[in-house]
Amino acid sequence: MITKNKIDDFIRKVPPSPRILKVTLAFLNNGELVKAAQIAKEDLALSAYLKDLVNKPIYGFRTQVSEISQIFGILGVAKSQQAVYNYMVTLLSPDKWKLFKLNKSSFHNLQADLTANWQKILAFLEINDKEIENAITLLPASVIVSEALFSEKIDDVNLLRSVNQIDLNSILKRQCGVDLFDICEQIATKWEMDEKVGLIIQASSGVKPAKDETINNLGKWMHLLLFYVLSKPNYVDAGLNDFIDFQIDYAQDVYDDFSRVLEIGN
Amino acid sequence: MKATVKNGVGVFSPQGFLDGNNSPNLLSVEDIEATIKLNANMILVSLKKVVFFNRNGLDAFVKMFAKVKSKSRATVGFCDYDDKKFHAIVRFYKDELHFCLFQTQEIASLFASSYKNKDADKKILLFSTDKSQSAAMAIELHDNGHNPIIAQTEEEFKIKAKTPDAYDIVIQNTYLGQMGQKVATRVTGNAIIYTVLSFLDAGIGETFDISYHNNSLNVGFRLFIFDAYKVLAMNVHALNFFSKLSSSAAEYNATICFVGLTFEKTPISFKETLEDSGIMFFDKMDDILKNKELLDELGASSVSNIKSKHVLNKVIVSELPNFIDATVSTIEMMTNSKAVKETAKVANISVSDKNDKIASSIGFYGDIDGMIILVFPTEIAKKACELLIGEETDDSDMILDTLAELVNIVGGKVKSLLFEEKINVNITLPRTYQDVDSLLEVIQNKKGVQVDLAFDNDKFIFFLTR
Repeated sequence: MITKNKIDDFIRKVPPSPRILKVTLAFLNNGELVKAAQIAKEDLALSAYLKDLVNKPIYGFRTQVSEISQIFGILGVAKSQQAVYNYMVTLLSPDKWKLFKLNKSSFHNLQADLTANWQKILAFLEINDKEIENAITLLPASVIVSEALFSEKIDDVNLLRSVNQIDLNSILKRQCGVDLFDICEQIATKWEMDEKVGLIIQASSGVKPAKDETINNLGKWMHLLLFYVLSKPNYVDAGLNDFIDFQIDYAQDVYDDFSRVLEIGN
Repeated sequence: MKATVKNGVGVFSPQGFLDGNNSPNLLSVEDIEATIKLNANMILVSLKKVVFFNRNGLDAFVKMFAKVKSKSRATVGFCDYDDKKFHAIVRFYKDELHFCLFQTQEIASLFASSYKNKDADKKILLFSTDKSQSAAMAIELHDNGHNPIIAQTEEEFKIKAKTPDAYDIVIQNTYLGQMGQKVATRVTGNAIIYTVLSFLDAGIGETFDISYHNNSLNVGFRLFIFDAYKVLAMNVHALNFFSKLSSSAAEYNATICFVGLTFEKTPISFKETLEDSGIMFFDKMDDILKNKELLDELGASSVSNIKSKHVLNKVIVSELPNFIDATVSTIEMMTNSKAVKETAKVANISVSDKNDKIASSIGFYGDIDGMIILVFPTEIAKKACELLIGEETDDSDMILDTLAELVNIVGGKVKSLLFEEKINVNITLPRTYQDVDSLLEVIQNKKGVQVDLAFDNDKFIFFLTR
């Protein structure tokens, strides 16, 4: 159904991070928000994305925010970096979604839902690390990779899943020896993201616990967060709820804290 | 969300968080309609991958249970939960618990009529604080051929459950709501056995799956046995039902038998009426199943369609490319290898070396009828099923089960390819054969199209017959 060649082809086509984004990220990394905004403005698509993102209800701003410098100023260094990485991930998304019922706007919402809730989690865990904050931005890439690899195989996938409870991640792993999260890690490497990002993403698959306890713990939170977000009605409708297997046992021990942080069941 | 169906049991597997906002989105009206059409004996919702639920989250599934029960009389319920989830469900629905709760899918399968006699004779320890529940479970388990042992107290249960290897299965946190009332059906060789219970009245018309019966006649089954050991009595409505059933079976030269029916509370004149309509009576199941001559006489040594004596007809032959495409594309999908057609001929099936080969078949009926058979060397079957199995295994039951899934996928593809050409067919449950001889017993001397196929130089046989 899916061959290793197809995966290699997909990874080959992942563009390296564009110069403007690289420079923007470098300025943000040094805390130079004004210079970062000046550069970011040159990329009109990035500007439009940032404006759309921060004006989503989940960010909770009362008035329309439209200036890039204003956006970076409000978001601060870490969240601005997250926003730029989120934009980079959208560069991989298809013009037209076939496997999942998503569009540009709903995919941006997914990114925003994940990012905003990840911030709450990191605040609870008292983690203040830019790279760890950025890790969440790569998670939706797993959805894009699934779409890219399986969109032409919808009928086969449906037929297979009518007789066997198999998720897309397992199909890939069993047929090609690599899974969605391996591919995400390769994207992170290509984009020169911090090594930690790839490790957390791998752990968040729920099937590959990390050796490092902190990374593993973050993987559990991220795994739970993914399914918390994918359980929302619009993502259920989009067909995202079961694209990978929820590993309840893996994440169980952080569930009580998770439900407190995200006020579940209240 | 669609249910995955295996051995007559349909399972929904929602994931994550279930609340009133999202659960209606998991089950559309079409999903519910599709579930009813599955005609499964049991419909379950697995809570294994649900980390949080509230009553509103379960309500969408409970409403689906009610619809399925009213239309198809299947057993419905939740399964795969821990202690905390079990008590939450009981608390949510305490006076409205009309569905079943099975601690695991394995436990559910013990109560499923489609599993009857398969892996029976298990030693089962069970406990429920509700004595009527323990009794009901014990009766059901006993009926299904197991040896249930009821622990009278929780303390006794805990002690017994800890005894190593004492029990095959331990059951607690399980609740039998209204069980399905469908007439249980199983296939033994080429006979179809229906199990009927207690008092047979007009209700038999609703609990008996007449479309399954008709389809079985269409695909060539000729012997139908009613296991009536547990029937107390029969009234005139049931008498009329069975008389009509026998008359329609006669058109296909099929035979209907009753086994174990006593006439203490049923007028003996009923027996004469039924015999006049062609129904035969036997005291014990073995009187039929272990008597090969009688089986031959009753037509159970082969599955054949007397109504249509042609082995293959033009329509099927003209659709042969579709059947082969469905098989080839399924094998290619499962193995990522190129499958190639080597030779094709119309003949009796010929398997050059019978050793270490397994087979699987699936019937189709509707605008055209027939049966697809795949014969694989065991090692090749394992390779073809690797994607579904996901791990190295030599467990022959698992390999056969997975081969059934594979041939089910082939059947599904055939159905959709034919549908594109406006030919409507339904597919039967898949069958597997642990060796070539048991396959040959079934298809005895039937001609068909045999296509030898290969992928990665591994050979297997496709055979299409009626």
